[in-house]
Amino acid sequence: MNKIIDLKGSILSLTVLKLYSNDIEQTKQALSDKINQAPDFFVGIPVVLEPQVDNLDPTFLALMVEFLHQKQMLPIGIRTQDETLKEHANYAGLAVFGEESQVKKRPQQQESKECAEAPSLKTALVVQNAVRSGQQVYAKDRDLIVLGSVNPGAEVIADGNVHVYGTIRGKVFAGSQGETSARIFAQKLDPELVCIAGLYQLAEDIEPAHKNGFIEVSLRNDQLNFKLLD
Amino acid sequence: MSRVVVVTSGKGGVGKTTTSASFSTGLALKGYKVAVIDFDVGLRNLDLIMGCERRVVYDFVNVVQGEATLQQALIKDKRVDNLYILAASQTRDKDALTQEGVERVIEELKEAGFDYIVCDSPAGIEKGAQLALYFADEALIVTNPEVSSVRDSDRILGILQAKSKRAESGEGPIVEHLVLTRYNPARVETGEMLSVEDVIDLLSVNLLGAIPESEDVLNASNAGSPVIMEEKSQAAQAYKDIVDRFLGEEIEHRFLTAEKKGLFQKLFGK
Ligand SMILES: Nc1ncnc2c1ncn2[C@@H]1O[C@H](COP(=O)(O)OP(=O)(O)O)[C@@H](O)[C@H]1O
Ligand SMILES: [Mg+2]
Repeated sequence: MNKIIDLKGSILSLTVLKLYSNDIEQTKQALSDKINQAPDFFVGIPVVLEPQVDNLDPTFLALMVEFLHQKQMLPIGIRTQDETLKEHANYAGLAVFGEESQVKKRPQQQESKECAEAPSLKTALVVQNAVRSGQQVYAKDRDLIVLGSVNPGAEVIADGNVHVYGTIRGKVFAGSQGETSARIFAQKLDPELVCIAGLYQLAEDIEPAHKNGFIEVSLRNDQLNFKLLD
Repeated sequence: MSRVVVVTSGKGGVGKTTTSASFSTGLALKGYKVAVIDFDVGLRNLDLIMGCERRVVYDFVNVVQGEATLQQALIKDKRVDNLYILAASQTRDKDALTQEGVERVIEELKEAGFDYIVCDSPAGIEKGAQLALYFADEALIVTNPEVSSVRDSDRILGILQAKSKRAESGEGPIVEHLVLTRYNPARVETGEMLSVEDVIDLLSVNLLGAIPESEDVLNASNAGSPVIMEEKSQAAQAYKDIVDRFLGEEIEHRFLTAEKKGLFQKLFGK
């Protein structure tokens, strides 16, 4: 028999939005500022709210949920131990996340508070040689730098940008988790396939003029944009 | 100190066995003690090209399986001193070779004082080819100037860099050398074949030498004698250059451009 559904425990990583103010307008403004810095980044991301203040107005959560939807984010739950907040969450249609995980994560949270807003630095994955036919390189959560060429039949994939100091003749994927601002740089690009955040183009659709010289590929209006840099 | 050299390509029929035979003969002619092992179990080719097929009593598989000693299976070459052949079995299948068995044979050869142990790889990228390259210190990547051969060589280079003993133990990488065989400069000029520059650009491996396409190769193998023994043949000279360069001499590359036909040859079509 084919299965119809399957429920499984999950290890999805969610974005946590900590709220330090009980002033809804102030909070909205702060969030707007944040989003304006990198509009693409926030689209469609699931968010869990974590209020760090008491005396939240009963409408605060509902307003927050509406605002997040406006900004194309997906509020899915709340993390709290406060019984009244749990009730508010119920009205706002938010799931309540248990405290168990909260307890476990405490030390990390304190740590991350210290380094304020700075996202943890993850340097690029560097490949010294050519990436050869049949080989695949994946730079998870970071950029990829290849000092040699990417040969036909090889694949290079990064969640961030891809830089190739040789020629790309195989397949290249940047922003493989959906990061639309990811870009590809290559000394020369004559690929089997080029893809950014799921939008791809095959060899025959790439203009011959773009196959010679140092090139940057980016995503603009849901289309791959090729730009010669020299 | 012994060096293990694998002759490999990915693709079949590109000239691995031809190269193994001439390269090992060339090294022995220089005075080194050389063993050449045929890893192409089931096909048995090297002994034919070396002209010792009627003297095979025990083969590589017998030694790996412990059915014969190394001394019983090593066939001494009739023409060149210090050259020994370990033939492949025609009757056994590929699974008869085990990694432990191969390692033991190579260790024994090292202890017996061989300077070079040349491993003639079977085609493909599967177990047989992986076993042939696993213990290598250096590799001759045999490639024909055509796209499919270059692609397969690229794959085998990836395997050399990832799945060899040197790669796994972090002893430092296998030294890679490109050997371009069946090179036909005239067909390169007409664009039918990739040029030497194209292939080097695609593979980024140092060129050890190019062997011209030559009917001497087939004649020599029919006669059961490595082509390097044919003094006048260009293929032989090219293989000699390869041996010299491998041993560290700096020699200019030759046979890379088409011979210009003189007026006389043009007129008389020769
Ligand atoms: N330089 C060359 N010129 C002409 N024919 C060649 C040359 N090198 C190899 N050949 C021919 O190519 C065929 C395959 O060679 P072989 O050495 O058996 O390849 P492999 O061991 O890679 O399968 C043989 O018929 C051989 O005579
Ligand atoms: Mg062969």
